[in-house]
Amino acid sequence: MKLEKNELRVGVFIIMPVVILLLFVVLKLGYSFASSTIDVYLKIDSITSIKEGTLVKIKGYTLGRVIDIKPVYKPALHFLAVLRIRRDIDLYEDCSAVIQNQNIIGDPVIDIRNPEKKGELLRAGSVIEGIEYVNLEAILQDVHALLATLQGTVGVIRDISLDSRSNLRTLLANLSGSMATVNDLLVNSQKDILEILTSFRQTAKTMNEISEELKKHPVKFLFK
Amino acid sequence: MYIVRRRIRPVCRAGSGKTMKNRRAQKATEKTAMLKIESVLRTPVKKIIAFGEGMRNFYRFVESIAVSFRSIKYLRFRSIYSIVVNQTRFTGVDALPIIVSIALLLGATTIIQATKNFPKFGIEGFIGNLLVIIIARELGPLATAMIVVSRSGSAIAAEIATQKQNREILSLELMGIDTKLYIVFPRILASILAIFSLIIIFDITAFFGGYLISLSTVYIPAGVFVQTMLDAFSFSDLAITILKSVLYGILIPLICCYYGFMPQSDFQIPIFVSRAVVRTLVILFVINAFISALFYF
Repeated sequence: MKLEKNELRVGVFIIMPVVILLLFVVLKLGYSFASSTIDVYLKIDSITSIKEGTLVKIKGYTLGRVIDIKPVYKPALHFLAVLRIRRDIDLYEDCSAVIQNQNIIGDPVIDIRNPEKKGELLRAGSVIEGIEYVNLEAILQDVHALLATLQGTVGVIRDISLDSRSNLRTLLANLSGSMATVNDLLVNSQKDILEILTSFRQTAKTMNEISEELKKHPVKFLFK
Repeated sequence: MYIVRRRIRPVCRAGSGKTMKNRRAQKATEKTAMLKIESVLRTPVKKIIAFGEGMRNFYRFVESIAVSFRSIKYLRFRSIYSIVVNQTRFTGVDALPIIVSIALLLGATTIIQATKNFPKFGIEGFIGNLLVIIIARELGPLATAMIVVSRSGSAIAAEIATQKQNREILSLELMGIDTKLYIVFPRILASILAIFSLIIIFDITAFFGGYLISLSTVYIPAGVFVQTMLDAFSFSDLAITILKSVLYGILIPLICCYYGFMPQSDFQIPIFVSRAVVRTLVILFVINAFISALFYF
């Protein structure tokens, strides 16, 4: 049976959407035509240490490696590292990827960490946010500088405390002497204070009498 | 008769003078007002009656097709095969350029609006979902149906009307061929196939156009975009799309054939063709709203 041109065109026109529809149903049911690996993307700000071939691990077990790094210019410049990882290990959508060194002089490695709460499984094409790049050497240098500064600060405090110890002791001794002198002064002048007070009282009495006399005979007082 | 009697009566009873004139003028005004009210009320009533008659006639037409289906066992598929193929080619394959271009533009404009406005709400990651919701669920089937109605619906109505005026349909009937089965049924079959395929192609093209436009503002890997759309597009959406394509595929040729059989003279052909297109479009919008309300509300 020979098909005409019209029939062929109509046949293709009908079969093509049906195939697309079947493909959609198959994919929707969870089947995959892919191999034992999936490609996921790692979003990173800079590619200082990551390069093609960088290992991807989970708890030390190698999952796969970086196969490509693409720059993305919009909305701001960042990079997408394509990670080809094994499908048989369950990774979840909210997992994180920490870029770190294996040891002090080791190559960088992408350490995948699953979230505590398990959600949906990570699918091909998902994007993982890369947690900031950790440079162990830089951290060691920073820690060293911090320790040196701390040591200096402790020395200065110690010197200050040693120098002021004798001064403090003298100050305390003088203070106690002053207190004793004040005490002696108070004890010795107790009688004199009483006499002064008695004298004050008599003076006040006399002044009172004068004022009364002045009230009674003001002119006489003038001529007295 | 009633109006005439009322007009004569005051003349016989009342005498001459101003009171008489005033009364006449008042009654004339009342009469005019009544006539106006009657005419105002008559128009919608007439329209309702006409609508009812139209629905009844359409029902009879559908019933006659259903009756014709009893004799489908006598129909050889070979006899309608060429009609189905030609009609599918005309409705589907020939409409592809316009469908593809409209889908690309529609997908692109939807995404342009989304990429401009979504960041304001912090939901720029839902571009794929928006495409599925707007294009796949609503605009895809509706735009496809509109294009099919304007291209093929009018053509079907005009073709049948011309065949009727040329007595080709009469000659078929004289030969003992069931015209409803021979003319309407293949067109329904072809329309279902064509609209179903066109909707799928429209959706895919609109997604592609949307994706291309979205690349200009924000980079989304193709895999992620496809995956987002796969996640957003559910089986119920698929079922509704198929339901819509089948419903539109039945209704468009049915209504257009109905109006194609209506003209009684050559001059009525354009009137009924235009009526077929307009009324089919109205019915499509009503059905689309009904289905959306039924499944998504």
